[in-house]
Amino acid sequence: MATEPYIAIADLGFSYAQGTRPALTGITLTVEQGEYVGVIGLNGAGKTTLGLCLNGIIPHMLMGEQTGTIAVAGKDPGVVPVREMARIVGMVFDNPEFQMSQVTAAEEVALGLENLGVPYADMVVRVAEALAIVGLTGYDERSPMGLSGGQQQRLAIASTLAMKPSILFMDEPTSNLDPIGKEEVFEIARRLNRDEGMTIIVAEHEVEVLAEYADRIIVLHEGRIALQGTPTEVFSQVDTMAALGLRVPQVTEFAYRIAGLGAGPVADPGARAGTAPGLTSPVAQLPVKLSTAIEWVGARG
Amino acid sequence: MQGMNVSVTHVRGTSWLHRMSPIAKLSWLLAIMAFAFASYNPWPLFAIALAGIGMAATAGILKPILRILLVFAPVTASMIVIQAIAPAICQNTCTPATTLGPLTLYQEGISHGLSLSARVLSMEIIAIVALVTTNPSDLFSAFARLRVPYILNFMVSMTLQLIPVLTREVQIVLSAQRSRGMKSTGFGSVIPSFVPVFAGAFERVQQLSISLESRAFGSTGKKTSYRQIEFGTLDRIIAVAGLVVGLVGTVVGLVFWSAGQTPVIILPVWLTVTVFLIAAVMFVGVVIAALVAIARS
Amino acid sequence: MTETQNGLPGSPGAGPILSVRNARYVYPRGDVVALEEISVDVPVGQSLGIVGQNGSGKTTLTKLMNGLLRPTSGSVIVDDLDTARHPVQVLAAHVGYVFQNPNHQLFAPTVADELAFGPRNIGVPEAEIAERVAEATEFFRLGDILTLHPYRISFPLRKLVGIASIFTMRPKVFILDEPTTGQDHRTTNTINRLIHELVDRGSTVICVAHDMPLLADVSERLIVMWNARLIADGTPREVFADRAVMERTHLAPPQITQFSMQLPGREGRAPALSLDELVAEYRTPGRLAGKEA
Repeated sequence: MATEPYIAIADLGFSYAQGTRPALTGITLTVEQGEYVGVIGLNGAGKTTLGLCLNGIIPHMLMGEQTGTIAVAGKDPGVVPVREMARIVGMVFDNPEFQMSQVTAAEEVALGLENLGVPYADMVVRVAEALAIVGLTGYDERSPMGLSGGQQQRLAIASTLAMKPSILFMDEPTSNLDPIGKEEVFEIARRLNRDEGMTIIVAEHEVEVLAEYADRIIVLHEGRIALQGTPTEVFSQVDTMAALGLRVPQVTEFAYRIAGLGAGPVADPGARAGTAPGLTSPVAQLPVKLSTAIEWVGARG
Repeated sequence: MQGMNVSVTHVRGTSWLHRMSPIAKLSWLLAIMAFAFASYNPWPLFAIALAGIGMAATAGILKPILRILLVFAPVTASMIVIQAIAPAICQNTCTPATTLGPLTLYQEGISHGLSLSARVLSMEIIAIVALVTTNPSDLFSAFARLRVPYILNFMVSMTLQLIPVLTREVQIVLSAQRSRGMKSTGFGSVIPSFVPVFAGAFERVQQLSISLESRAFGSTGKKTSYRQIEFGTLDRIIAVAGLVVGLVGTVVGLVFWSAGQTPVIILPVWLTVTVFLIAAVMFVGVVIAALVAIARS
Repeated sequence: MTETQNGLPGSPGAGPILSVRNARYVYPRGDVVALEEISVDVPVGQSLGIVGQNGSGKTTLTKLMNGLLRPTSGSVIVDDLDTARHPVQVLAAHVGYVFQNPNHQLFAPTVADELAFGPRNIGVPEAEIAERVAEATEFFRLGDILTLHPYRISFPLRKLVGIASIFTMRPKVFILDEPTTGQDHRTTNTINRLIHELVDRGSTVICVAHDMPLLADVSERLIVMWNARLIADGTPREVFADRAVMERTHLAPPQITQFSMQLPGREGRAPALSLDELVAEYRTPGRLAGKEA
């Protein structure tokens, strides 16, 4: 694994060349090495854009106006070529099939290595390792188009892992998968984070899963950071999240209402949020996981 | 809806043809094509076509070959038919061979048709035999090894894979439209499916290109290859033999079997009529099928 | 297995609107059995959810329901029509199928044209088409985008247009294929509300989905597919409570339901389907008395 640690973003802004409004404004955040970060927000909030800034696709491939600074493992993606950032940041996207291009699975995994000119002997080892991590050993000769959605997504992950990045950004990786596929992908992310110390950044709608595994949650709203903090800190702000049109784990909302913090059901999530609310200190520390919620109820009596 | 096979034409196997290096096969294919263009005399070309079928039989792929040929046969047949009744090569002085009802079959026309179809058939069969016995992966590795530009290689590979994918997409779109009561099933109904399929293809290419770029696709440095294809001593001998034979054959073809050297082929009348009728049936069959498809839309 | 309901009040003795009888489906090439013998009756006006992993047969089942596929054996009767005897185009007036990806449906130059396409195909007179388009525009709140090209509007809006373009055909049965997959919370709520409204109007709505909280809220009946077979059929409450089925199929009930099933002092009670329900339960005095729900 690479030794560089972290990500530092200061006042990052980006507008697509053909965009009508800025996709990102004033983004300031840091990510420590080995952190598991969840990014949530409505469609169009800027999650994908943020991810593409990490490996330099923005601004090298997707044109637009970028302001502010961003450093990933000490390098500036705006300056360093994408092929170099590819060794540091691996990217996985939401449509498994759209990431496939090779005739066999092994070649798909080897693609990045071929592009980097990795010697053949090393390639064989790394392809085998990557397939093993995602549980696709033996699938070498299979056609990627013939695999299930979950398998394809695991293959996509393997094809980034072969390049040995220290950061993995996944943009709604499970949105097109069935429950088993979702489980498989989240399981791999958890293992990579816990066993390999990889920095994981996942943009997702599955708040219950993120609450379970993420160290930190970043909430994007219309291109800005509306909230950030630990899952407990973020999800406890049930009213604020609702005003942003976002869900919190069901057990958290339950605790919120039981604790008398809300008069009744939260505000209609369909209502427009108006200006993004700033950081508010949570009224209480509510449980965000199933297990802690049970304890919490027990403690209340 | 996953579960598709990419290789439209590849049939797995362990025959001698399968085991031959793709570079050697390409070399021979090139040789045959050069010879086919040089020769006008249909007999050597038909001999090659037959040899191709023979090779297919020894490699155990006779059935798939014949099935694919069935698709291409009408094209070949059309050449014979058209040339027989309306020969392109003679200006005024065509000799009628026989008459079939209102149609006059011209000697030169039949001869010319045979030459054209022999040329096409020989190239077709050898090319199909080569493709069917070669794993697409290996084929592209062979191209890469032969210094075909990476981008070109990739584009062809991608296109081949997209064919079954886009076919599937068209089918889904047609199901969706039928589920909205769209009645036409022929040609015209496929048109509305173009927009959704193109939109889908566009989206796919967008996300794919970002995914590829994120895996250092745009690198200009030296690339290595994961897929190693065999090109051992025997394969090299075969490949060189192919090039030599191709060169020699082309010269022979130009000298002995070119258009100027080939006399008009005169077949017995019964044979002429038989050949014409078989070709006509195949040809007319396809035309009718096409018209029906258009009419139903 | 629960009793199936009778027909709507006021139509005594009405049979099921959709009846799948011993239907089996085998793919013509490769002899893959996509669906083993399955029988299911759907009463008029029911809101049915179908769950299962990809490949479990649920999509095959829905395609049998609208006639896109004909059963290899057995039969499917929709609104008194045998799907084997009528082309899909004719059945389309009775069963509307909304595809998961709206892009597969939308091809017309404007949203209004999309809405008119279906009814025009099934022979609705032009005057009435205009009326139906107006109705759909209001129901789905598409007024602002009627003249826009379907590919110029956002993906969530396209999903709505997809449903709306089936709505104008006024089928008695709606089949929605994964309506909220990949959608954010706001869009999911809109679809949720839509399904409720369709059911309120008397439509039969069949929802294939992985979104358990959605189904817990909109479906009165759930069937679970696994390995080309129907292995559970009951109310969401019954199905979620059936741990064996949930484990076997690798499906998980909504978090709130799992939560309610693990809470001490709630043994013997049926699991909660929604937050409102569980919250109300907790606010009622005597909640931990262990009484039956």
